Amino acid sequence: MTSEPRIAAENVSKWFGALVAVSDVSFDVGPGVTALLGPNGAGKSTMFRMLCGLARPSKGTVRVLGRDPRTDTGVSRLIGLAPQQEGVFEPLTAREFVALSAKLHGLPDPWGAAGAALERVHLDPSDTRRLPTYSKGMRQRAKVAQAIVHDPPVLVLDEPLTGLDPRQRMDMVALFRGLGSEGRCVIVSSHVLHEVERLGSRVLVMSQGRLAAAGDFRELRALMDDRPMRVRVRTDRPRELAGSLLAAGTVVGVRLDGADVLELDTADARALSHALAPVAREQHARLFEVQPLDADLEGVFRYLVQR
Amino acid sequence: MNAVDTAPAAARPRSLVSLLALYRLLLRTQITLSRLLGIAALGSLAVVIGLFIRWDENPNQAAADAVVSYGLGILVPFATLWLGTSVVGDLVEDRLLVYLWLKPVPRWQLPAAAMLATISAVVPLTALPLAASAFAAGAADIAWPAFLAASLAALAYSGVFVAAGLWFRRAIWWGLAFILIWENVAAYVVDGLARFTVIGWASSVLGMAPDIEDELEAGSAAMALVVLPAIAIAGWLIATWRYRRADVD
Repeated sequence: MTSEPRIAAENVSKWFGALVAVSDVSFDVGPGVTALLGPNGAGKSTMFRMLCGLARPSKGTVRVLGRDPRTDTGVSRLIGLAPQQEGVFEPLTAREFVALSAKLHGLPDPWGAAGAALERVHLDPSDTRRLPTYSKGMRQRAKVAQAIVHDPPVLVLDEPLTGLDPRQRMDMVALFRGLGSEGRCVIVSSHVLHEVERLGSRVLVMSQGRLAAAGDFRELRALMDDRPMRVRVRTDRPRELAGSLLAAGTVVGVRLDGADVLELDTADARALSHALAPVAREQHARLFEVQPLDADLEGVFRYLVQR
Repeated sequence: MNAVDTAPAAARPRSLVSLLALYRLLLRTQITLSRLLGIAALGSLAVVIGLFIRWDENPNQAAADAVVSYGLGILVPFATLWLGTSVVGDLVEDRLLVYLWLKPVPRWQLPAAAMLATISAVVPLTALPLAASAFAAGAADIAWPAFLAASLAALAYSGVFVAAGLWFRRAIWWGLAFILIWENVAAYVVDGLARFTVIGWASSVLGMAPDIEDELEAGSAAMALVVLPAIAIAGWLIATWRYRRADVD
């Protein structure tokens, strides 16, 4: 994967006064889709800004296709960026917004290119409404359109799936995969695990400004499934359910909370999820609620960092 | 297929094309109707002042004084401050600069486009009313110098305030202090300081009209024609330097 790196970060740090936003991060990204995963505030956007040359690393080096994106303005021809911020040029239509990008990239037919890019993200080029009247999802797609209008070999997409409905997400993920399969380097950030799963990609995990993990998503998924986890279950037969789960070895600890709530500690969340319903059926127990207590992404990343 | 090999290489846009695209964008996004109406209202006040001056014993000198005190002291600097600091400053505050920075466009173009957009709005809305105020005062000799002085002052201020918009958050407050303290108090109170102010040199341009006494005496009208554009160029260079080095959010 990294034999032909399009993006290379080496010992990159970025600090703002006393605040360290990115700390000693190194990675290579090659062709195809790579997801940069991390909770809000993990340093993903700062990392993206450095990859695009928008911010200078306080320490370390960033190279895009072997060139310094900060000092070499020509690199911007090779990069398409869809930034995270929601702001848009308010008086512009989507087509004008994308055509502006095309003009500034020196495309010979900016309006034609803008129309094609908008169609690629399933927006109507003839729509005369101004961008602020668009839904959040439509604005996201317009931002992606302006990033791909000049057909760049490197695409940096900061939380591009935010605000999209499930159908739009599916279409957008298919678009990213398509762009990746054409040999482009597509790096997509997200703080939502299942979004990344759909991208089926190589993953870089950032947490608290550090690179917590890197590799294939399936390996990461296995790591996360192996971590200890606590699950809250509300049922009408808590003692019977707890006894059976302990006997089966599916849980390593049980705590009864009130008359109908169980807190289960497990080392194998996947095994528990498979076993819970059959055991409940066997015990004639009704399950009213099953809720992982530490399944938030922050918890996952904390675990990965502490490993 | 390898996208690096097959992607149609987007060329660097021709300078005029990208400069024009930036200029039109800034005009559309930043020069809003409310801002234009506000400045037009201030401009129309100049004409009203001219009508009152009509009955002065020396309408030429009175018109020139009004152009300096109201036109060059208030109207032009405040109008240029309002538009000049916001034309790029708003892009910074709204985090939209990213869409312009990451393009293969020479860095000097955005400050240049911002100055052009500012001047395009300020000159018609301030210099023309000041010329009209001279006519209204019955001092036609002052009209052309007033127009030229206001236009050159707008040019110089645009360089200063576009640079300020890139440099400072909430640059408008910095600009207000600059106009009130430096341009309107220090220039009059401290001997010799006028030659380091825009208003001092702009008022010198009025010396092109006959029998006009220039209170600030920064220098000759001919020198002002050089100094005021030089201030604009200095502001543009500083803005470009700042833009080139800025961390873009």
